[in-house]
Amino acid sequence: MGLIEHQFEENLLTTKVDWLLNWARLSSIWPMTFGLACCAIEMMAVGAAHHDIDRFGAGAFRASPRQADLMIVAGTVNFKMGERVKRLYDQMPSPKYVIAMGACATGGGPYYKYGYTVVKGVDRIIPVDVYIAGCPPRPEALLEGLMKLQSKIRNTSVIRKPVLTA
Amino acid sequence: MEFEGIIQRLREIGAPGLVSTDEPRAADPEDKKDKGRAGDAFVLVEPSAIVGFLAACRDDAELAFDLLVDLSATDPDAADEQFWIDYQLLSTTRRHRLAIKALVAKEGAEIPTATAVYRAAGWHERECAEMFGITFVGHPDPRNILLPDDWVGHPLRKDYEFPTEYHGISCE
Amino acid sequence: MIESNQDPAAAMSERITFPGASRTLPTGEREFMMDVRTADLEINMGPQHPATHGVMRILIRTDGELITGAQPHLGYLHRCAEKIGENVEWLQYLPYTDRYDYLAAMNNNLGYSMAVEALLGEEIPRRAQMLRTICAELNRIGSHLIAFGTYGLDLGAFTPFLYAFREREWMMALFEKICGARLTYSYLRIGGVFNDTPPGWLQEVEHFCDVFEEKHKEYVDLLMMNHIFVKRTADIGVIPVEMALDFGLTGPMIRGSGIDFDLRRDTPYMLYGELIDAGAFDVVLGSGAKGTLGDCWDRFYVRVMEMIESIKIIRWCLGSIEPGPVIAALPKVLKVPAGEAYVGIENPRGELGHFVVSDGGKVARRVRVRGPSFCNLAVLEAIMPGTLLADAVAIVGSTDVVIGETDR
Repeated sequence: MGLIEHQFEENLLTTKVDWLLNWARLSSIWPMTFGLACCAIEMMAVGAAHHDIDRFGAGAFRASPRQADLMIVAGTVNFKMGERVKRLYDQMPSPKYVIAMGACATGGGPYYKYGYTVVKGVDRIIPVDVYIAGCPPRPEALLEGLMKLQSKIRNTSVIRKPVLTA
Repeated sequence: MEFEGIIQRLREIGAPGLVSTDEPRAADPEDKKDKGRAGDAFVLVEPSAIVGFLAACRDDAELAFDLLVDLSATDPDAADEQFWIDYQLLSTTRRHRLAIKALVAKEGAEIPTATAVYRAAGWHERECAEMFGITFVGHPDPRNILLPDDWVGHPLRKDYEFPTEYHGISCE
Repeated sequence: MIESNQDPAAAMSERITFPGASRTLPTGEREFMMDVRTADLEINMGPQHPATHGVMRILIRTDGELITGAQPHLGYLHRCAEKIGENVEWLQYLPYTDRYDYLAAMNNNLGYSMAVEALLGEEIPRRAQMLRTICAELNRIGSHLIAFGTYGLDLGAFTPFLYAFREREWMMALFEKICGARLTYSYLRIGGVFNDTPPGWLQEVEHFCDVFEEKHKEYVDLLMMNHIFVKRTADIGVIPVEMALDFGLTGPMIRGSGIDFDLRRDTPYMLYGELIDAGAFDVVLGSGAKGTLGDCWDRFYVRVMEMIESIKIIRWCLGSIEPGPVIAALPKVLKVPAGEAYVGIENPRGELGHFVVSDGGKVARRVRVRGPSFCNLAVLEAIMPGTLLADAVAIVGSTDVVIGETDR
């Protein structure tokens, strides 16, 4: 804490409840250990020391979907796996988020035309919050995707009624 | 051993089902339509005798093909009436290779399984069976290996039509 | 005061025997003593499991702690690579080769390029061959680093993973400098390599080799010789020689069982014949140093020590590389002479075979990929029954499969 440590009298902090809830959510997104293909290797690289996803509070990779907030779909989904992806998504507790990492998860990627078993985008099975381009995306791109997701969470309202505009 | 030596040895031990050999050759300069053939030499074997042939290759002390490296099929053309089934053998002690080919008719394609000789053939044959619709007679575990159990069609056939929908997921 | 220099843990396990545990008989076999009879239970390991290295599923039948049957199920990453090969042009297929064994993309590029070159009969410039060898061996190191790191992760050691990724990041930075990609390179092209090295690249590779040799000692001390690690891997998942040959295993799997076979030496391709003549590298074999020949530790040992052999190969190439062209002059739209060729090369996981058939046109008739992981995985059916459930992860991890390649 450095400069501000032991510097103040007793204090009060005023904030909005929404802000506080969102802050808590976005600072501790726990992803699921769920590598599918090539992109999973870059996801592992993000988890390792050099890129260190822990800096953004998302380093606690959980092996069980029931403990996870975020599903990073890292790789090609085919029909056989698609059924499992859907089931894993359903097992995650709300609020849950999905990042489609890489070209295959976004839209079939290089397997779009002749890939007879490939699901052409994981958004045909489960809803996706953030898409990341690249084949595979660089670790920095995944980190940016994570930050995009955080800014999305920051702007959601939890307890207020949503304002409907025409 | 080189290819000629292997063939000579196969003839000596009387390997069953040996039909002919095919070797790469240069194009005939006289014949303009002839483009020659590149690549590897292979042995053509009668499909019904393939098990005996593989066993002979494995058990002969001079050939000693102890590894079945690959087993695959090829659909050369939609108009063609035969599938090729290719076996690649390798000897870890003699350090030579042999390519074997058997031709089977597409209509009701079947060939005896090689799992009794090499257990490595098991998974390769399951893959061939689902991709081409070839029946490997006597296979101990003839389930699909890569495709879902309820998959329709044989994708690596040249006349395969791509699916448009699978369990409610659109493929367009 | 301990007078004998006997391993205290071994002395303890001689003295204490709990009922219901396993023990090693004088014949070397493991015997499991059942204290409670239990019903059969079928457990799905995967497709989403942190230790299956991808989306493989193994159906395990257990009786208490004992595995009585194991059946791998594949196809969760089937991406139709062979069908695509029949539909795109020869050169267009190259990026797809990157993606089946995504840990060793350079080796895949090499295998496919060599198969097409076998039909073309093209002479490859010497500098291109040197660069190919350097890249393929660097990638072998990178692949074995992942095998090293994730195997530690599977068995509960997190630190080796961080160590392995430290060097791997550097290796990927090297590849990024030469071709612009970190994982899927498409750098080795049909006829040579894509472009020449950027200035100073070869010196940096040499620097990498110097540093890596030092770091390699850490790997050996940290994980390979670690007492806990040895206890978890020695005598587990033994593959006898006959079984290894019967299942068509290749690469570190077969060398771990003590079979002296390496395609780089025994069916020399590219520059490896020269390398063998110069005595530049040795083939690492499992010896059963910590247990039985062909156990999980032996396979791991082969992978770890192969990294040093790869460094030796890279050093030899760096010492004798000379300027020159890096790619043969080939037309942009390639027409490959009619024929068929099978080329097998030594991938980090074993023999990567490409069987290509051409009818003389711009598109292949058939591109068959023989993935080493596909065959190496089949052996699980045979070695897993009779082991303990806690060893399942150790056995699966020791096969070092890449699912992209088993399913293609």
